[in-house]
Amino acid sequence: MKSRITRLVSGGLTRRRFLQYSSLAVGSSVLAACTSGSQNAGAPPPTADGIKVGVLYSTTGTIAIVEKSLQDATFLAVEQINQGTGPWSGKKGIAGKNIDMVVVNPDSNWDLYNQMSKRLIDEDKVVCVLGCYTSASRKSVLPVFEEKDKLLYYPVYYEGNECSSNVFYTGAAPNQQITDSIPYCIKNFGPKGFFIGSDYIYPKESNRIAKAELEKGGGQVVGDEYAALGTTEFITIINKIKQAQPDFILSNLVGDSIPAFYKQLKDAGINASDVPIMAFPTTEEEIQAMGPEFAEGHYSSFNYFQSVDTPENKAFVEQFKAKFGGDRVTNGVMEAAYFQTFFMAQAMEKLAAEGKEFTTANIREATRGQVFKAPQGTVKIDPENYHTFLYSRIGKWNAEGQAEIVFSTQAAVKPIPWSQALYKGRICVHKTPDDRTDPTVETNKELPVEFLKI
Amino acid sequence: MSVCALQIGSSLVSSLIDLAQTAPAEPKAAFSMIAFANQLLNGVGIVGILLLTGLGLAITFGVMRIINLAHGEFIMLGAYVSFVLQSAFKMDLLLTIPFAFLFTALVGAVVELTIIRRLYGRPLETLLATWGLSIVMQGIVKLIFTAQLKYVKAPPYIRGNLTVFGSGEQAVEISYYRLFIVVVALLLLALTAFLLYKTSLGREVRAVTQSREMAKCLGVNTSLIDMATFAYGCGLAGIAGSVISSLKSVAPPMGQDYLVDAWMTVVAGGVDKLVGVLAGAALIGESKAAIAFLLDDPAARVIVLAALIILIRYRPEGLFTIQKRA
Repeated sequence: MKSRITRLVSGGLTRRRFLQYSSLAVGSSVLAACTSGSQNAGAPPPTADGIKVGVLYSTTGTIAIVEKSLQDATFLAVEQINQGTGPWSGKKGIAGKNIDMVVVNPDSNWDLYNQMSKRLIDEDKVVCVLGCYTSASRKSVLPVFEEKDKLLYYPVYYEGNECSSNVFYTGAAPNQQITDSIPYCIKNFGPKGFFIGSDYIYPKESNRIAKAELEKGGGQVVGDEYAALGTTEFITIINKIKQAQPDFILSNLVGDSIPAFYKQLKDAGINASDVPIMAFPTTEEEIQAMGPEFAEGHYSSFNYFQSVDTPENKAFVEQFKAKFGGDRVTNGVMEAAYFQTFFMAQAMEKLAAEGKEFTTANIREATRGQVFKAPQGTVKIDPENYHTFLYSRIGKWNAEGQAEIVFSTQAAVKPIPWSQALYKGRICVHKTPDDRTDPTVETNKELPVEFLKI
Repeated sequence: MSVCALQIGSSLVSSLIDLAQTAPAEPKAAFSMIAFANQLLNGVGIVGILLLTGLGLAITFGVMRIINLAHGEFIMLGAYVSFVLQSAFKMDLLLTIPFAFLFTALVGAVVELTIIRRLYGRPLETLLATWGLSIVMQGIVKLIFTAQLKYVKAPPYIRGNLTVFGSGEQAVEISYYRLFIVVVALLLLALTAFLLYKTSLGREVRAVTQSREMAKCLGVNTSLIDMATFAYGCGLAGIAGSVISSLKSVAPPMGQDYLVDAWMTVVAGGVDKLVGVLAGAALIGESKAAIAFLLDDPAARVIVLAALIILIRYRPEGLFTIQKRA
């Protein structure tokens, strides 16, 4: 018998039938994407004359694991703004108007982010958009926002080297995450670092910057390995780590790769006391998913940890758990997704008070320089480069899956979008008012660390 | 099959792009025999997982010729059964395995009864139906458990590493958990072979596969056999999910990861003989491990997939198929 499957592929299937079936297949996948796209579980129903704001996070696909919780944090902030609770106590909405979220789901597909952002802008006519997690998705929507001159609030630590007039970056720039953690590693663990990451823009760029920092500090990269997004098999990379015998591992793995890597590393007999992991994207959420025992003794560098001791953070954690369940944890990206919504709301409030319209140019100018008492401490949008003054912290994970903060700056650090290890002295200054010309300025000088003065 | 090829194709393309982006490798450390020996053992670990995830498919596709694109989701279901039992009743992972089997088998039986049964002999419709089913199953699990990653605890007594020889830095080791996976996979393979070739039930299954009409005439309850076989294949996937859940990540889309690998294993090995799955898993697992060690993971993915496409081109029936009369 020539097996049936061959017949099926070669003989039994005419071109016409193939076309029929394949178009059916394509159609059904489009249908699936569309139905999931209109799903907005948990979002309040739209009101008559609210302010339309797009919310662009995937709730299906590989990245859904992270982006769903960003969406949750955004929902919490919008609910507080509309109901006048939490940090918005004593007010109600934006001068009486509700924020109406238009929630779309790009299904972890970079192309869909592009299409959905067009849809949000052209069809739903949103005022601005909150969203995106991976750099790949940001790069995918960036041309849309720049071409149509709309604003994106982007809540994620990223590799830097970008300074658009159409994006407010409320996550960490390289100097707020990488530049403090690498000297810490050299000092406390040793000079030999093994770099791993998921195979896309952010981990590669981030590792490139970290490598420059490490070499500047007299260290050495003994390995540089990448795994495809979503990989959960790390046996080979772990073997290479064993062979290279580094003093520490720098991990830029994201999503479901993180628990798999930490578990398999311990399973292979490498303990945190021998070779600690310093990670950027590993947060409370992933630690909970892998079981705290696997992360105990490893480190993460972040602006915010759930264990940060401020009254704002206590309230945030409490309110988040009350809305989404007591077993949920908060993390740095969620915190940024939360406070950036208030940056946007404060800007809108300012415009409403001045009687101005919510045009892109007006919102942009109003958002510049906004200050907010976030859970991590007081943060501010830098009026020059649209990134955010943030704290820089390093946490050591304990047996409960919470971070013991072993390093923290005294105040929020001024963001520098360009990696100073790669582009010395390059900064970014948007004109006031912003005419959307190239903001890059070369100072060719060593930039001092500046802190936020309140 | 076209979707499967499509998936393999698209992941090949993305891997190729990855490969193109990969910066020239820095000078490698001196080639170490110890590390390479470790890597070959690691390959055994990969083979174990491939075998485990491919085995269920070897039943549903190999024996029944059902193109089951929801196979990965049955693996996911097994993992979630372990998660639920562990978090609700504090059960040991090993104790949850039978429940994972029973539950996924039950779901498999229902699926066979309501969907697959109506589509026998129409492989393309089956393909679309199971593809849709995989989306539905992911969606349901996500609605119940949210998209968050879940944590499944490994039993404390399968910890640590078995040192094959050497010691300290120069040791050649394999973790007990990986060994455990290999052992479970081999036991299940043996059990399945026994059921299929040494019991009357197995004989009936093979009879139905070879000639449904004839088997019916001879008094075999074909619809019952179909349901049992499909349920068994799904149950095996459930066991796979349960066993690997504590080593990997548990999340609604996790099954997609294993689907392509499971298909590659089954197709490479050949679908007519169970031993083909073992051969396919060994071939793919070890070559992946070796190439990943010499180059890197994305490159290994590209090369193995490309090699497999060439293999299917020249031996569409796989490596281990005995020639039968047409």
